[in-house]
Amino acid sequence: MHDFITVLLLGLMLSFSSYAGSAQGIEVDKSTGIVSWKTGAHGVSFSLTQILPEQARAFYVNRGFTLQQSEAFATSCVYMTVMRNDSAPGTIHFKRSNWSVRVNNKAHKLKSVDAWVDSLKQQKVKQSALIAFRWAQFPVEQEYESGGDWNQGMLSLGLPAGSKFDLTVRWDIDGEKYETTLRGVQCAK
Amino acid sequence: MGKSMKQHYEAFSVLNNKHVLNIILLAVLALFINTASYAENIPPLTHNLTKLKNPLAAPALKLKNMDDEIVDIKDLKGKVVVINFWATWCPPCRREMSSLERLHLATKDKNVVLLAVNVGEDMDTIFPFLGMIAPSPSFPILFDSDASAMKKWKVRGLPTTYVVSPQGKIVYRAVGGREFDHPSIQEAVIKLTK
Repeated sequence: MHDFITVLLLGLMLSFSSYAGSAQGIEVDKSTGIVSWKTGAHGVSFSLTQILPEQARAFYVNRGFTLQQSEAFATSCVYMTVMRNDSAPGTIHFKRSNWSVRVNNKAHKLKSVDAWVDSLKQQKVKQSALIAFRWAQFPVEQEYESGGDWNQGMLSLGLPAGSKFDLTVRWDIDGEKYETTLRGVQCAK
Repeated sequence: MGKSMKQHYEAFSVLNNKHVLNIILLAVLALFINTASYAENIPPLTHNLTKLKNPLAAPALKLKNMDDEIVDIKDLKGKVVVINFWATWCPPCRREMSSLERLHLATKDKNVVLLAVNVGEDMDTIFPFLGMIAPSPSFPILFDSDASAMKKWKVRGLPTTYVVSPQGKIVYRAVGGREFDHPSIQEAVIKLTK
């Protein structure tokens, strides 16, 4: 009994220390199994929620893609991304190109939205579907005023199903740099 | 890890069982509260507009509405104009649409015009969507078929909303979904008309 209690207490202490250190939380949707990772730092909140390949396929087929045209993006480890300036001490500015991803302790480069659009153009995706694709992505650059400016959009990691990675999100306020890292994020299997 | 576990065991063994159980109950409760704060997966809509420190002249906006008529913002000088960029596939755009209609109903007789600029979609897509919204939007929907107006207005993400003063300056901006019928937003818009 004592062993059980000790293990339980240790587990709880470890849980609290991980929340306190990075303010990172994980939520699993009981009905779908979809996992969300959330963090908050310097008055900014940020979250990633898995988008399953079948969800991404359905979204883009409904926008005018063929199944074949939607396949590469749908299977590229996609997240619904939300970033919000709740209470930062000023206007935050970010460029996605300044964010970094590490997989197994190695840097991993993200494919830019422009590169995705170019490859979709080569596949003859129709114009209205391309517009939907472009603007459904999480902004490549943005400014959020304090008090609640925010966006929700898609972010492709370009990783195989089940991959684990750390994402460091960077922004600045009048040139002063800030960052937060989501650790151990997993692509949907 | 095993050694560490043993040390923790020794430390806790001096406590009586009742005390330990109380700690566990408190810890479980705290963990439950922490987890519960993440339970709502839908991002909340914001309740305020951002006032621009340096109001900018509103760019041109001349687009067709659902009746195939041209709407030109130039013709709306002297009125407060709320311009919302949106698409049916954008979740926060969908969520804020009914509150935009309530803002429209509350301000349409107060020299305020609301324009919703749809990006890249056609009538066949928009019309059924509008029928699902309650109250259904009665303000003009404009078509930005090639997203060129978005570029002119420097929209970087959907939804984005601008409030233009009667003098033609952008005075408020809202990036991301809002509850447009919130009193603070309605008051800010109406105040511009005075």
